[in-house]
Amino acid sequence: MAVRVLIVDDSGFFRRRIAEILSADPLLEVAGVAANGMEAIEQTEALRPDVITMDIEMPVLDGINAVRRIMADRPTPILMFSSLTHEGAKATLDALDAGAMDYLPKRLEDISQDREEARRRLCARVRALGLRSQAHHRGVIPDVREGRAAHTAGLRPIGNHRLVLIGASTGGPVALRQVLSQLPGNFPLPLLLVQHMPASFTPAFAQRLNDLCAITVREARDGDVLQPGNALLAPGGRQMLLEARRDGTVVRVRDSEASQHYHPSLDVTFGSAATVYPGKVLAVVLTGMGADGREGARQLKGSGSTVWAQDEASCAIYGMPMAVTEAGLADQVISLSDIGPALARRA
Amino acid sequence: MAIDADDKILQDFLVEAGEIVENLGSQLVELESRAGDFDLLNAVFRGFHTIKGGAGFLNLSPMVELCHHSEDVFNSLRQGKRTVDADLMDVVLQAVDVVNAMFQALRAGRDPAPVDKQLIERLESLAQPAQAPTQRSVASQPAANTDDLTDQEFEALLDALPAGVPAPAVETAKSGQSGEITDAEFEALLDALQGAPAEKTGAARMPAVKSVSGEIVNDPPSAPAAAPVAAENTVRVDTKRLDDIMNMVGELVLVRNRLVTLKAATDDEQMAAAVANIDVVTENLQVAVMKTRMQPIKKVFGRFPRVVRDLARGLGKEVVLELQGEETDLDKNLVEALADPLVHLVRNAVDHGIEGPEIRRAAGKPDAGRVLLAAAQEGDHIRLVIADDGGGMDPELLRRKAVEKGVLDPDAAARLGREDCYGLIFLPGFSTKSEITDVSGRGVGMDVVKTRISQLNGTIDIESEPGKGTRMIIRVPLTLAIMPTLMVMVGPQVFALPLTCVAEILHLDLKKLNNIDGQRVVMVRDRPLPLFYLRQWLNCDGSGEPWPDSGHVVIVTAGAQRVGFIVDSLIGQEEVVIKPLGALLQGTPGLAGATITGNGRMALILDVPGLMHAYGRSARQSEVA
Repeated sequence: MAVRVLIVDDSGFFRRRIAEILSADPLLEVAGVAANGMEAIEQTEALRPDVITMDIEMPVLDGINAVRRIMADRPTPILMFSSLTHEGAKATLDALDAGAMDYLPKRLEDISQDREEARRRLCARVRALGLRSQAHHRGVIPDVREGRAAHTAGLRPIGNHRLVLIGASTGGPVALRQVLSQLPGNFPLPLLLVQHMPASFTPAFAQRLNDLCAITVREARDGDVLQPGNALLAPGGRQMLLEARRDGTVVRVRDSEASQHYHPSLDVTFGSAATVYPGKVLAVVLTGMGADGREGARQLKGSGSTVWAQDEASCAIYGMPMAVTEAGLADQVISLSDIGPALARRA
Repeated sequence: MAIDADDKILQDFLVEAGEIVENLGSQLVELESRAGDFDLLNAVFRGFHTIKGGAGFLNLSPMVELCHHSEDVFNSLRQGKRTVDADLMDVVLQAVDVVNAMFQALRAGRDPAPVDKQLIERLESLAQPAQAPTQRSVASQPAANTDDLTDQEFEALLDALPAGVPAPAVETAKSGQSGEITDAEFEALLDALQGAPAEKTGAARMPAVKSVSGEIVNDPPSAPAAAPVAAENTVRVDTKRLDDIMNMVGELVLVRNRLVTLKAATDDEQMAAAVANIDVVTENLQVAVMKTRMQPIKKVFGRFPRVVRDLARGLGKEVVLELQGEETDLDKNLVEALADPLVHLVRNAVDHGIEGPEIRRAAGKPDAGRVLLAAAQEGDHIRLVIADDGGGMDPELLRRKAVEKGVLDPDAAARLGREDCYGLIFLPGFSTKSEITDVSGRGVGMDVVKTRISQLNGTIDIESEPGKGTRMIIRVPLTLAIMPTLMVMVGPQVFALPLTCVAEILHLDLKKLNNIDGQRVVMVRDRPLPLFYLRQWLNCDGSGEPWPDSGHVVIVTAGAQRVGFIVDSLIGQEEVVIKPLGALLQGTPGLAGATITGNGRMALILDVPGLMHAYGRSARQSEVA
């Protein structure tokens, strides 16, 4: 069964373009369109789409409020289209807080230079959200709110860790927020956060996490020193690494290499941490599409460190944690709501 | 990137973005009078945002850049980080103009040119929540390059400044210890003294124009919501196709007319019923096709808030533009054809009609002049009114001008009635304003307006009262393709006179005509009316029939002129479909086209202004001779 999509945008031009792109994918079907948030709510009720693509700036009712109301009345996976500006970042993060699952830049060139590739990725994102939603309807995946903690029992003590790494992609902003907000202000370890996100978003995201959490969160700068209770977010569009120096460990922020598909990449950060702190790292792979983090987790495991993976039920997209789990690299498979408390207890 | 103007996606973008930009123009002007209106600010923000989105999709980087910066300005505004002032408006309107220019380029298949760096910088500075940058730049201007001015001179200048002209730049200058002011400041002072717009002084004086139409205000936020939904159910059709359909419907109407006439001559009831049926269907079809070509006059009206705003700002006047009846529908071709004449008349009203604030104050009027632009359907006509509450027109002055310019001799001028005097402004080369402004015409224009309206089978009338204002009233038929006419016989030939030109029909005893200066004249309600035998003009008198003793006189008006045409008989009123003349006859003076009458005969449609122009003078001369 094709994934049924509702397209919400106040621009007819944009609705038609998105519809063209999505309907070219045999697995997707455009169920309907809406020109503002109000129509989106009505159409969601009437059409029961599997996925909604949502614009932010709209007349009558904007995208963020529409997300809030849809998630309250008829929860449906929502993909936000946002502009890659500072303002766009704030609005997108608001939408994610309101319950949207994922976002894409409105300008397709920002997804990929290659237009075809950009289209494919748009379709893939919509499919991923939709298939999950369909699985929910069929009862394959228990709902996040009901089924939880199946795997949480019996967490092993995690020894003397020096550093916590958390990596995430799709669904990550909300997941990271939940995890970090459960950590106490005197959390004894430094944290490094890697969230797949464009460069213009990470400053706003770090700011927001800092405002919401007891621990300190900020965007990493080259030369930063690790401090307990301090979380550094990898800047979008670049790579965050650790470098061991005689006077201590410093954070390095480097430009991405052409071969690196994700920037920031979990693999890059995890890999460098495995070298600098062999056996002393606790890494958590949260929700997200793809398999970034698997190779990094392999290196970490090889050096004797610990790897946790978020469980399928609590994932927006069970991609990266699945890659880690299926490769046999996860010491624990753990539900989102338990990650924060588990870290707080065991760090 | 090469632009393919035929690209469907590009066209789709241009249609949607074009509408948004059109709305933006009036929304922005509206914003000047309701600077804090959050919904309006949001609507403008979204407008730029949507264009940016589409431009981004099409990779039109210069347009993305420009819209992005404009959007930022409105984001600051809607967050209350700064407020709307006239300078900000000038920059943003300039940005809209550039976006429009980019659309033009795209339509022509060219890449949009990169945006002027200065404009981007100005937008950038406007997006900052700082104080007005213009003020800063004036204030921080180094005192080098100055014209020395003594303190006394400077004080004198300050004293001479009219009260109420805010002049922050003056303050800045005054606070300087040296008593020197910069060139720019000096210029600004001079401008202020002359009552010019205070923009150079950096004063954020709110400009004069606001539109008091409620529709404009309420529309933008809801329109984008409603329109796109409808767009999903619409098909874009080349207007050429609509023209073709209209043409064919025209042919059908002619056949229908013919059938209806034939039906009257037959007793066949079944045939009669079928003809009655086709009559109704044809009529419905005709109306339906006409409707597909209808557009609200808003399309033209929409540009006026901006036109009036810029004009008033340039002239240092305060003008309130009121729009009425923007939803009135009329034929697409008419909407387009009316655009230029209306722009001209509105500019005239602001430039020549509305007085400067001082004069208005002296006359006991409010500072802000009022210009009304109204449209309404009146039967099968559209009535457009352009009214101002300005100085009005002085018939005496017009007479004098006409004589000075050699348009009329003093006697003829003296004989002109009040209304006729107003008509003088439609004569070529007639301009009443002594000094030429670069704003409205240079003496061309009003005659062009008149000609245009006549070409649309329309009329234009002027009502004016010195001191109170002027009203221009334009009447045009709803559609150009079908025209109500008066059918008359001249000799053996049928002619159709456009009903818009026909003022009156008289039956006259032709023996009682007066002859003045060799011109046949009849007194109608105590006013002399020149009479002409159409037969003579149209060479239909070959039969050598004697001139009849009595005859029908059709009084026609063409501009300020009113004449009587003597015709042989009247047939009646008929709606005709205008067909262009064949190549051989094309351009024949006095003929507008041809049509086929209900009884299958060919009738020539007369172009009354053209006819009078072509024959009036020569006929008179030959008669005198």
